[in-house]
Amino acid sequence: MADTQLSVTDLQVRFPTDRGVVEALNGVSFDLEKGQMLGIVGESGSGKSVTAKTLMNLLPRTAEIDGEVIFEGEDVRAVARERRKHFWGVKMTMVFQDPMTSLNPVKRCGEQIAETLRYHLGHGRKMALRGATDLLGQVGVPEPAKRVHQYPHELSGGLRQRVVIAMALACEPSLLIADEPTTAVDVTVQKHILDLLDRLRREREMSMILITHDLGVARGRCDDVAVMYAGRIVERSATETLFNESRHPYTDALLRSIPHIDQPSHTRLDPIPGRPPEMINPPVRCAYAPRCRHAREDCLTSIPTMGGVTGVHEFACHHPANTDRGDAALAANVAVGVTPAGLHLTAGAGSE
Amino acid sequence: MTEIIETPQVPEVVPKKVLGVAFWVAIGWLFIVSLIALLAPVLPIDDPGEIGAGGPREGPSWANWFGTDALGRDVFSRTAWGARISLVVGLLAITLGIVVGGSLGMIAGFFRGWIDHVISFVFFTLLSFPALVLALLITATFDRSLRTVSLTLGVLAIAPVGRLARASTLVFAEREFVQAARVLGAKSRRIIVKELLPNVLIPMGALSLLGMGIAIVAEGGLAFLGLSVEGDAISWGKSIVDGSQSRDLQNNPNVAMFPIGVMFLTVLSLNFAGDRVREYFDVKESAF
Amino acid sequence: MTRFMINKVAQLLLVLLAVTFLSFSALNLLGDPLFNVVGPLAELDCDAVEAGLIEDTTTTLNNQVGDCEIVAEARAVYRLDEPVMKRYVLWLGDLISGDLGTSFKNDLPVTEILKDKFPVSIMLMVMAEIVALGLAIPLGIYAAYRANHRADRILSVGSFGVLSIPNFALGVILLYLFALKWQIFPATHDDSSFFAEMKSLSLPAITLGAGLAATYQRLLRTDLLTTLQEDFVHMARAKGMTDSHIMWRHALRPSLFSIITVFGVNTGALIGGSLVVEQIFSIPGVGRELVQAVIRDDFPVVLGGVVVIASGFVVINFVVDLLYSWLDPRVRTT
Repeated sequence: MADTQLSVTDLQVRFPTDRGVVEALNGVSFDLEKGQMLGIVGESGSGKSVTAKTLMNLLPRTAEIDGEVIFEGEDVRAVARERRKHFWGVKMTMVFQDPMTSLNPVKRCGEQIAETLRYHLGHGRKMALRGATDLLGQVGVPEPAKRVHQYPHELSGGLRQRVVIAMALACEPSLLIADEPTTAVDVTVQKHILDLLDRLRREREMSMILITHDLGVARGRCDDVAVMYAGRIVERSATETLFNESRHPYTDALLRSIPHIDQPSHTRLDPIPGRPPEMINPPVRCAYAPRCRHAREDCLTSIPTMGGVTGVHEFACHHPANTDRGDAALAANVAVGVTPAGLHLTAGAGSE
Repeated sequence: MTEIIETPQVPEVVPKKVLGVAFWVAIGWLFIVSLIALLAPVLPIDDPGEIGAGGPREGPSWANWFGTDALGRDVFSRTAWGARISLVVGLLAITLGIVVGGSLGMIAGFFRGWIDHVISFVFFTLLSFPALVLALLITATFDRSLRTVSLTLGVLAIAPVGRLARASTLVFAEREFVQAARVLGAKSRRIIVKELLPNVLIPMGALSLLGMGIAIVAEGGLAFLGLSVEGDAISWGKSIVDGSQSRDLQNNPNVAMFPIGVMFLTVLSLNFAGDRVREYFDVKESAF
Repeated sequence: MTRFMINKVAQLLLVLLAVTFLSFSALNLLGDPLFNVVGPLAELDCDAVEAGLIEDTTTTLNNQVGDCEIVAEARAVYRLDEPVMKRYVLWLGDLISGDLGTSFKNDLPVTEILKDKFPVSIMLMVMAEIVALGLAIPLGIYAAYRANHRADRILSVGSFGVLSIPNFALGVILLYLFALKWQIFPATHDDSSFFAEMKSLSLPAITLGAGLAATYQRLLRTDLLTTLQEDFVHMARAKGMTDSHIMWRHALRPSLFSIITVFGVNTGALIGGSLVVEQIFSIPGVGRELVQAVIRDDFPVVLGGVVVIASGFVVINFVVDLLYSWLDPRVRTT
């Protein structure tokens, strides 16, 4: 593990609001090795974007942050306190969801890329513009020399996202965080963008964190996947392991809500029952318990800690799916027809 | 597989809206000022025109709370009597604005088409004059009676009020309850009065408070141009003008400053109350 | 783009026509221009004089001329016998060729009277805008930067208060404190030198600028807060830009649209305000001239002044419209 590039330990983030303190992150820990791609998967509100924003120092000043973030041997929170220039945007950078709003509408595309080069690398106006044209070419924008002089609204969604990526890559960062980079673009363009990101990180030996709500996007691209729920990582392993041997009932449910190409058409997809948990004053219990078919009494009284094989396949569950203990819990719940948390179950036509 | 039959629901917490203490303080001030204005003739205060109610150019004292002016007239009673005209002008002006502008705006917003074009163009033309220049144009051609001044300021209010009424009507006319009434064959007049008017009145209510403040200030502006109410009639604007002649201002600033203070607090209260009402009913700021 | 421009210009011309017509007909139909020229003589029944029923009076200094001849001459000079529509068209023709008619009272061309008054009024308004923007932009940025902190709350209460002070009240207070009590600024207008004129216009400009500054500051703060929520600001922060760089280079320009939108409308308030402020500080500008013309019933001067001011206001709003599309490239192509 000599090549660990990013190490996050017990990260906690709280937002004081008028209605109470929102506990956005409750002890998130993960490592990212150099050149690897980590997928962070979860529903909206699970804390995946907050994690990214914490890394990028983008949280509002009211946020209370605890825990340790070490990037290439440096304490990121100390860098933030010192207000150091040329760290974010140079070493670590980010691509956002919506390319339309990520670009300043009143500035030409070229100007916006060139600005990064001028700001961080001290390039002159002409040189920076040439650099911007180059970068546009590298991210597969046709006619880059013409595009640099256009405004964002004159480009298609896919091209805009490429401009945003070019902007992020300008200073050759060693870590790129992509927050749902394909959610706002056309379905047909999504694959192109993902392939581009994959190609770029391999060419540049760049590490990457891909944030998505879609497990399918992570598959085949990410080396590791971390599944988040209610401000915690609930399961983490190599991508294929996660797909084949999911342990957390939430991961399990997510997998079953993805359509499979080999299923007969009109197969009913299982939605996950209930809604995401309250983040203000959460009770001491597994946050997923109210929606979980495996939940037993112990799930309602204690928060499960990370178990499994450390560094290989970890999960936080008292009754993991696809294990004897988990099957027993499910069977007991199905027999009564209701989980201890009050979720009603009826035997369906499924495999279980 | 399993299906959900029931899921526990988390109740939504809707924060309760309140107008706040400061709102009631503002309303309280407006109430006191109105009361004094209303009762000025029967209150035990000096006659505002009485020369030598006190010595000339005296500062505030127990006998003359706001002091006296160069002629020894009591500034407090002049301010109290001034409130009568200033408040009446404000009230009449905004009433005229709401009745005429509101009706025109709702007609334009409801019927659309050419009638909307004509009315909107009239509003646009009225708004193409700087307000005080339009007031000057009107007062230049008529006399300077209380009626004319109120009427003039009312004309100024027509276009802004009308535009707001038109915009609100356009929004509400598309809502389901109005559409439903149309489908049921209700007459236009009935829809305007029964369905639209109550909804348009809320933003107008907030605007009328703000508008009254604007009208009171505009009367003051006209007074400085020498175009406010003629003769012995006293308004806040005229009192301030009286106290603002260089020599008076230097020697006894109380003559100008007390009416200024009272006028400021009144306009502040109107603005604040209007603002709170607007927030309370969640009226979009852009509509103003 | 050309279609857009043609539409805009057509609209501009239509409004100018409406504004001039409204002004002209207000003074011609509602007032009695003949009375304004010749005073009480207008009530003399000249038809009766002509018919020999009553005797012509000769109240003028020049006893050679009968009063009815004076009335007849006035009618001819001011085309008072023509129908109003025709008078309007003739007057509009003169207006376009730069002739606003002559004063009823001193026979000077209206253009001559107004020409000297405009520069000082315009200078006052420009100074007021400079004061307003000079205060509003830094304070708006600061308030957005410290949003909901104490400094922001104080600024917000302060600007609300300033908005409730009528400009004449502020003018009187400033005049009292800075000109009469402490005598830092002159109490009357002094145009002996450019510097002296600037100095004597300072208090009036602050009087006019304060309210504008409060309006602008509030708008800028709101717009900046909206802009700061935008992803491109997060993007700029993710690019490692400092807060001040982001504020000035990224967030400010897209946040100026509201200020530009109200700039045109506020110019109306500014013109109205300068009428009043010119009275308080005895500034020999258009406003003062206009007010004096109203008081002495000098109808061509009032009409000329109102038409020039209103047209200027319309044109400013037209330019603001164009400026808007120049600043926001998204409007330009649609």
